[in-house]
Amino acid sequence: MRPPNGPFARLGAWLSRERVFRWIPFVLVEGTFILVIIIPFLLTIYISFLRWRANRPFEQAYLSGFRNYEAVLSDTGFWAALGRTFYFAGFAVVFELVIGFVLAMLVHRVVRGRRIYITVFLIPMMVVPVVVGYNFSMIYIDHGPLNQLLSPLTTLLGMEPRIRWLSDPLAAQWAIILADVWQWTSLTFLIFLSGFSALPPQLISAARVMGASRWQIFWWVEFPLLKPAIVIAVVVRSMEALKLFDPVVLLTFGGPGTSTQTVAYYLWEQVWQFNKFAFGAAASILLLILFSALIFTGIWLMMRERTRLDRERAS
Amino acid sequence: MNGDATGRKAADRLRRRRTALRHTVLIGWGAIIMFPIYWMIQTSFKDSGEWVTWPPNWLPQDPTLKNYEQIFAFDVQQAGVAREATEQPFNIWGSLVDSLLICTISSLIALFMGTFLAYAISRFNVGGSTFRHMVLMVRMIPPIVIAIPLLMYYAVMVPFATETLLGSRISLFDTRTGVSALYTTVTLPFVIWMMLSFIDEVPYTLEHAARLMGAGRIYTLRKVVLPLVASGMVVTFLFVFILSWGEFLLALTLTHPDVSTLPVLLNKFQSASEGRLYGPQAAIGTVITIPVVIMGVLIQKHLVKGFSFGMMRR
Repeated sequence: MRPPNGPFARLGAWLSRERVFRWIPFVLVEGTFILVIIIPFLLTIYISFLRWRANRPFEQAYLSGFRNYEAVLSDTGFWAALGRTFYFAGFAVVFELVIGFVLAMLVHRVVRGRRIYITVFLIPMMVVPVVVGYNFSMIYIDHGPLNQLLSPLTTLLGMEPRIRWLSDPLAAQWAIILADVWQWTSLTFLIFLSGFSALPPQLISAARVMGASRWQIFWWVEFPLLKPAIVIAVVVRSMEALKLFDPVVLLTFGGPGTSTQTVAYYLWEQVWQFNKFAFGAAASILLLILFSALIFTGIWLMMRERTRLDRERAS
Repeated sequence: MNGDATGRKAADRLRRRRTALRHTVLIGWGAIIMFPIYWMIQTSFKDSGEWVTWPPNWLPQDPTLKNYEQIFAFDVQQAGVAREATEQPFNIWGSLVDSLLICTISSLIALFMGTFLAYAISRFNVGGSTFRHMVLMVRMIPPIVIAIPLLMYYAVMVPFATETLLGSRISLFDTRTGVSALYTTVTLPFVIWMMLSFIDEVPYTLEHAARLMGAGRIYTLRKVVLPLVASGMVVTFLFVFILSWGEFLLALTLTHPDVSTLPVLLNKFQSASEGRLYGPQAAIGTVITIPVVIMGVLIQKHLVKGFSFGMMRR
């Protein structure tokens, strides 16, 4: 029998060669990334140097140097939104980490009903973020259940029982933080729980035999071993929290005033309501540079933990 | 002897008190979690007069299925479905079909491509040792930064390019294809990452044995590796599906009149312009939530094991 010939057979033979074969999936995935993410980015860089608004035809746009970048950098709204994003993210992530850690620790020690707790505590992660926003918008209504639940407390403190959760600037900011904490504590809980369940039990019983108290075991044995989990939780949650957008749209539309505009919402509004495309493009590039620095730091932290762990495992 | 017994009893009491305290805290958090969901479900059974009252009704006084009838009505002009003259008739079938198609197709393609790349990374170290971390970067970029370029790309560049190259204008803006392609891309990092943790656990010797016995490369992959990671693939698929199912910003940006996913539909009634329809909104929310929560519960065991980002494997 003759070996199959023709262009397709030759192509197949070439593709199944060791050196080529292993790169096929790589090329496919990288190709997708280039087509869907890299090319649009190059386009954005070009547009960010144009003087163009979407309500005018693209052909009338002309190059204007760094004008858009200057506009973004001197825009107080942009800086305020950026600061607010960090403020929301900071508080939300701290609460999520602390609550998630405590819950994971408690669930780890519980014997009976463990699975039910885990099931319930992981539900918020699965709920669609828009639905979370909607749910909280129902609960925060001035005549809503939250104010009713809080009314004994508020009357005791002599406050107005109807807290205007979504129309008072400070209350609206905390309304958004609370909604975020409600949803994403489940993720930190999950990360910490898998950290706790990966603790080596021999080590802990050894410490107990040697007469260590509960607190000592926790502080000197468990806590250091949980460090990778903590790093992951901090990195993953901070990155996600800086994207905060959905609850803002669903709950307050950035209001009252601009008190709940996050940077994502601010840009979205600039582009889609005011058609400032070139401005939005320049701001995207600047944001990407800023976030890249954060992302690289995060990934570097995670990689460092990992290599440390690998080394410990090897020795 | 006696002192020992009382000591043990005291320790027992202390332990029991500690357990009780622990359960109290946990049940308290459970209540906080269930409350918004409970409120949505009970609102979905209330009629329009009961949506907002003071003091609020904790259970519907007069349970009704009207909200569900309204969102599932096939004939949107049907009398009695839009309860007030100002209400726009609507149903969720269009969005449901869009959401299902977009999420299923994009998750399947991402699963296929991601699994093979994960295999290549795990076995041949394609892309170098830091590549698996770099892949995560795509996921960490804020979607708003992708959304603005993509809008211009889909609405301006792609039609222009196809017109000059192929002679016909193809726009990806407001199409299922465009959204699916995007979802495939943004979920790929997760697929790669999760599949890596499953494939890394398959011993290489198995493949080696199969290869020595003369099996081809594709054959080995299909008959040896894939069966061993099949459950992992199901978990990954469901996880990615849940992600796409809830995605909001990109869908809001890249679709307007024709295509709309379920989150976008729900958001439409949140703005004052269309009037707040709390009841039907609650019904939509319930319908969107239930399937993904069931999926989540199904894969939860794997999540607890696998959400360590490969750092805490024993």
